[in-house]
Amino acid sequence: MIELLSNTSHIHLLLNHVPTTAFFVGLVIYIVALLNGNDALKKAGLGIFFMVAVITIATYTSGNAAEAFLRGIGTRSEVPVNVITAAIREHEDAALWATLFMEITGFFSWLALWQWKSVARLPAWNLPLILVLALASFSMMSRTAYLGGHISHVEIRPEVVARHEVCLALVDAETKHPGSVKNAPDGCPWQAAVDAVTAARGAASPGAASQTRDLGLFVTSHTWMWPTLETLHFVGLSMLFTAVLIVNLRLLGMMKVVPYSAVYQVLPIGMIGFAINLVSGMLFFIGVPSQYNANGTFYWKIIFVLLGGLNVTYFMLVDGAWRAGPGIDAPVSSKIAAASAIFIWVAVLFCGHMLPFIGNAF
Amino acid sequence: MMALLQQLENSGFSTWVRQSGSLWAFPGILLAHTYGMGIMVGIIAGIDLKILGLMPGLPLAPLQKFFPLVWIAFWVNAVTGTALLAADASTKLTNPDFGIKMAFIVLAVISQRLIQTRVFGAPDPGGKPFPGNAKMLAVMSIVCWLGAITAGRLLAYVGPTSGL
Repeated sequence: MIELLSNTSHIHLLLNHVPTTAFFVGLVIYIVALLNGNDALKKAGLGIFFMVAVITIATYTSGNAAEAFLRGIGTRSEVPVNVITAAIREHEDAALWATLFMEITGFFSWLALWQWKSVARLPAWNLPLILVLALASFSMMSRTAYLGGHISHVEIRPEVVARHEVCLALVDAETKHPGSVKNAPDGCPWQAAVDAVTAARGAASPGAASQTRDLGLFVTSHTWMWPTLETLHFVGLSMLFTAVLIVNLRLLGMMKVVPYSAVYQVLPIGMIGFAINLVSGMLFFIGVPSQYNANGTFYWKIIFVLLGGLNVTYFMLVDGAWRAGPGIDAPVSSKIAAASAIFIWVAVLFCGHMLPFIGNAF
Repeated sequence: MMALLQQLENSGFSTWVRQSGSLWAFPGILLAHTYGMGIMVGIIAGIDLKILGLMPGLPLAPLQKFFPLVWIAFWVNAVTGTALLAADASTKLTNPDFGIKMAFIVLAVISQRLIQTRVFGAPDPGGKPFPGNAKMLAVMSIVCWLGAITAGRLLAYVGPTSGL
């Protein structure tokens, strides 16, 4: 585990395919479902959108760890020669916007899944809005992936390709009309183009402009920001606990006179609480990423958040808990889901609280 | 007075909480305080929002089953809060923000007691909105808990602070 954490770029390279490829599958399913009016497929598409949005949290945060690895936490002293800081910055800014849209898409997808059970008819705006959000998220994520590819695949950078093509054209012209090109190159190795571009951009890169870094500076340079975000994080935590406790303790046997359909109405309070904490948490992260990406406790926290996302899809997509009518005990599968939910969110709070005490100090 | 606070702060227990470095000391006590907050404020906020008209299909009366859990969490926080205070008495007790936090908690506890006796004691309006004074108590409860959380968090930032 420690070896894996010390090179978290592996995790980012694994996770970074999910927001484009898995999301594309969801998008196709969702569009087909809308065209055919098939409710089961619509739910499948929405479920994929929601899960991809959850996984994107881990993809985004592991990106900073991958960058930190390239910059050299511990062993390496400098950025590898083929990595251009400006390329990382461009990728990071694209990722920030794409992640924002992805999370909004995930939130509304969750809301649609929730409304399916709780209200007789879905509001007319909901499914088309999600389609627009999903298309926007997908195009932004694709651009992020494209820019991310440029970080280590130096040979596909547009400026490298352009320089290479200019060289090829010169060689071609000289071959057809000998003597027409002054100082014509003998050949065009890719490496020459790569080296020229790396040297030109690498030198200019330390001060590379970045919206993400500007946002991070905004968080750290205003003294009121950190306490405000912490307070919001506590408020969101309490709202999350509202839903986690009332819904899951009912399934585990408390206040059995209340049917599951009634406590189900509490779930959006928890999801809004989670949204508050995702925004405030991401702002902490963007403010001081180094505090988190070298911190083992933070990885456990993200793992439990992923499990929490998986857990909540049970309540959206599986009907078991609905058998708990007034005075009726919930089935065993629902009790397992309920007990897991309480364990998972208690663990998320534990990891969050212990960030400064286990692992590196703040 | 200050001498008394410093004596409290220098007691064996206070020193252990502050300086032992054990995860059971300051980190563990603060963790319990945070769980207590999440459980107590979480459930109370759910009840308040129900009274204010959210979750119309959820009956109010059965939610009283959660009262024991609310009060257990409250007492956990009273005990852990006292321990955290003892560790840092001369700073916290001279910080006006601490007084503000306590005032919010006293008002929040009063509104919770009133909600338990008056709103839960009265017949359920059964689908109709709750009477105005019930809603007023719910608003007071939410505002006071938000105030207590905010003032509590700001204890680390405003007035005299010690880094705890």
